[in-house]
Amino acid sequence: MSGNGGKTVLVCCGTGCIANGSLEILSALRERAAKAEGIDVKPLIKSTGCNGFCENGPIVKIVPDQISYYRVKRSDADEIFDRTLLGGEAVDRLLHVDPATGKRVRSQMENEFYSRQTKLALRNIGEVDPADIDDYIARDGYKAFAKALLHMKPGDVIAEIEKSGLRGRGGAGFPTGRKWKQCASYDSFPKYVVCNGDEGDPGAFMDRSIMEGDPNTIIEGMLICAYATGSSSGFIYIRDEYALAVKNFTCAIEKARERGFLGGNILGSGFDFDIQVVRGGGAFVCGESTALMASIEGRVGEPRAKYIRSVEKGLWGKPTVLNNVETWANVPLIIMNGADWFRTIGTERSPGTKVFSLVGKIRNTGLVEVPMGITIRELVSNIGGGVPGNRNFKAVQTGGPSGGCIPESMLDLEVDFDTLTEAGSMMGSGGMIVMDDRTCMVDVARYYIGFLSEESCGKCVPCREGLRRMGEILNDICAGKGREGDMEMLEKICETVSEASLCGLGKSAPNPVMSTLKHFRDEYLSHINGKRCPAGVCRELTSYFIDPEACVGCGLCRKKCPADAITGSLKSIHSIDTQKCIKCGNCMDVCRLKAVKVR
Amino acid sequence: MNITIDGKICEAEPGELLLAVAARNGIHIPTLCHSDALAGLASCRLCIVDVNEKGWHRTVTSCVYPVKAGIEVETATERIVEMRRTILMLLSARAPDSDVINDFKRRYSVPDVERFSGDAKEKCILCGLCVKACEGVGPCAISTVGRGITKKVATPFDEPSGVCTGCGSCARTCPTGAIEMVEDGATRTIWHRKHDLLKCRICGEPYITWMEMKYLSRRLGVKKLDLVCKKCRRESLAEKMMEASEHVRPL
Repeated sequence: MSGNGGKTVLVCCGTGCIANGSLEILSALRERAAKAEGIDVKPLIKSTGCNGFCENGPIVKIVPDQISYYRVKRSDADEIFDRTLLGGEAVDRLLHVDPATGKRVRSQMENEFYSRQTKLALRNIGEVDPADIDDYIARDGYKAFAKALLHMKPGDVIAEIEKSGLRGRGGAGFPTGRKWKQCASYDSFPKYVVCNGDEGDPGAFMDRSIMEGDPNTIIEGMLICAYATGSSSGFIYIRDEYALAVKNFTCAIEKARERGFLGGNILGSGFDFDIQVVRGGGAFVCGESTALMASIEGRVGEPRAKYIRSVEKGLWGKPTVLNNVETWANVPLIIMNGADWFRTIGTERSPGTKVFSLVGKIRNTGLVEVPMGITIRELVSNIGGGVPGNRNFKAVQTGGPSGGCIPESMLDLEVDFDTLTEAGSMMGSGGMIVMDDRTCMVDVARYYIGFLSEESCGKCVPCREGLRRMGEILNDICAGKGREGDMEMLEKICETVSEASLCGLGKSAPNPVMSTLKHFRDEYLSHINGKRCPAGVCRELTSYFIDPEACVGCGLCRKKCPADAITGSLKSIHSIDTQKCIKCGNCMDVCRLKAVKVR
Repeated sequence: MNITIDGKICEAEPGELLLAVAARNGIHIPTLCHSDALAGLASCRLCIVDVNEKGWHRTVTSCVYPVKAGIEVETATERIVEMRRTILMLLSARAPDSDVINDFKRRYSVPDVERFSGDAKEKCILCGLCVKACEGVGPCAISTVGRGITKKVATPFDEPSGVCTGCGSCARTCPTGAIEMVEDGATRTIWHRKHDLLKCRICGEPYITWMEMKYLSRRLGVKKLDLVCKKCRRESLAEKMMEASEHVRPL
């Protein structure tokens, strides 16, 4: 790996780690290395993409020793250099503590967060420097493309992808091979290959991680498709908020051009293909394929009816293949290892893996890649480390804002495209937001409908007006102004919005309401009839009190109360002055004995 | 090729739009955002119908749906009508005082819904026809602005537009009469701007704005546009044709 016989230090420079100062750690290590004397071979200090264990960043890895350090600070840099790189021993305090045994473990493979994952799309991320194309090539990069270009016919490439059963990772799960095959069948040129990098779900960062950490794998996937379908021009649409992704991707394209992987007469074969980066203006709806294409063309980002598919008439009315970032990242592996190998992973109808971003009320916030068919329980409890504090799991929201909430009773659901849809949610791009018992499900629905009301393109009546009215009703319910018949009205609007809307955004927009109405109906009833928010979230419906049976008088709630509404001396029962209480919920969150309750 | 609409066998060209095929065969499908002169927008969703394609039922918008041989279309199943009623309820919540919508509401027996607050002055249903019309005429003076529930149709920054000719195509194409166009004999006010009106040289009625006259002259490449209103143009054309027909000897 290190290439110079010495050691390599990989400093995670994903967005999360950068925010926690990993760039300073990188430069501190480099400065220290520059000053080091008396060593034959200086270690390589590299920046990589996101390692996924964002909760515990910044992450620093040393290879070939397989030592991973977490929550590293700039001040740790010298010690890591002296003790680990020069001395060959691990710095114990920076190692991961196994929560079950309490022991410190050195390598990622001893860490349950990593050992239960299967990394395909994320295979290089955290291992390669995204700015260094040689790193990618050293890990068999562009080999699959060379194999396809020089040893396979376009039809064979498509057949292999079709046989692999790869389905679109953007959310809808359309068979990728079929899409390519249809596009290839139209005798109209030029054809376009597009990568959708407009990831916009709140709490999702799967595609971002791949674009930032391993842009070459996307380029290689697109090249393979371009060769298979006869395209010579590609676009990657990256939302402009992803500044690092835009930078790393642009850099990767330039380097790939320099090496002759992009441009004219690629690898001397006579095949031409190039990719252009298009920066999205931050409209969530531009993640929808037809809106995205309108945006690339310079028109208003509004979807169109898809009775004529993009594979026939897409960008500028020409045949277009559009796939999501993660789908592209899987393509080189399938060509390299074969469809049969790919089918050994995952489930019969959804082969392969899926990347999820685990966020919300979960110990190990981060990015994970697991085989399809894994249970939500394993994802949340084992890999995610469960719900922190002394709270209980309540639901997991999958599929982004237009996904649904899956309750505890369905924790053993084996996750794939079809099971999630049957459960009233969807795979979406892979966001997973874990919620504990301090989450109000009506408030959750209200939040998502609010998000979608702002992010709908506003073109068609059911979506725009339906979301507006659902938002009004949900706001009323959360403010204690819910009326009889509101739930029925919500259901009626949901039905029409999901069926009569123009695009996928509108059709799936009612999911947050429908799934919470289905699984958490009693919470709606408490809000509307009982004028009470059981989770203690909706302020107008919440009144806190301290249970004298449970309170031991530790005083923590009193200290954390910003309104001085809690009184009580140490070791005696505390009480809340409802006149002073501003209902922030801090007391409930901090009490370890669950003595703070909602009336 | 043939398709079936509400049990009636209809002849159609491949790729023809369903709404057009239905209209030709005397089958009425309700719509608000359709204009024969402009490409389908599929925004009002009233023209939804049920299409059965080889046993697979789906809800499609007939104004943009290209027909395929053998499809069976039902324009008013219970489910479709119920969805239309919900759409009308939502439209009426938005524009409670629109005559066009209230008329639809009566036809579909949609009850008044007290639950929602609506702006009595609002008539726009954001169908987008006005924007398409302005694009079609050429100036592109108005556009939809923003997205989501705060979307609206406006000139840039809600200021009087420098390119709006005051031709009024937007107002004339609007299905709900939401665009205000006021005339006082000498001027026409639309989109925050007052335009001078020019008179027809024959009847003397004011009919065209000075800006539109300039715009048309430029587009047509003529120095001075002959100012004849639509009514007088038709009359003079009829006179000329009558004159000409007098000289034509029957065969």
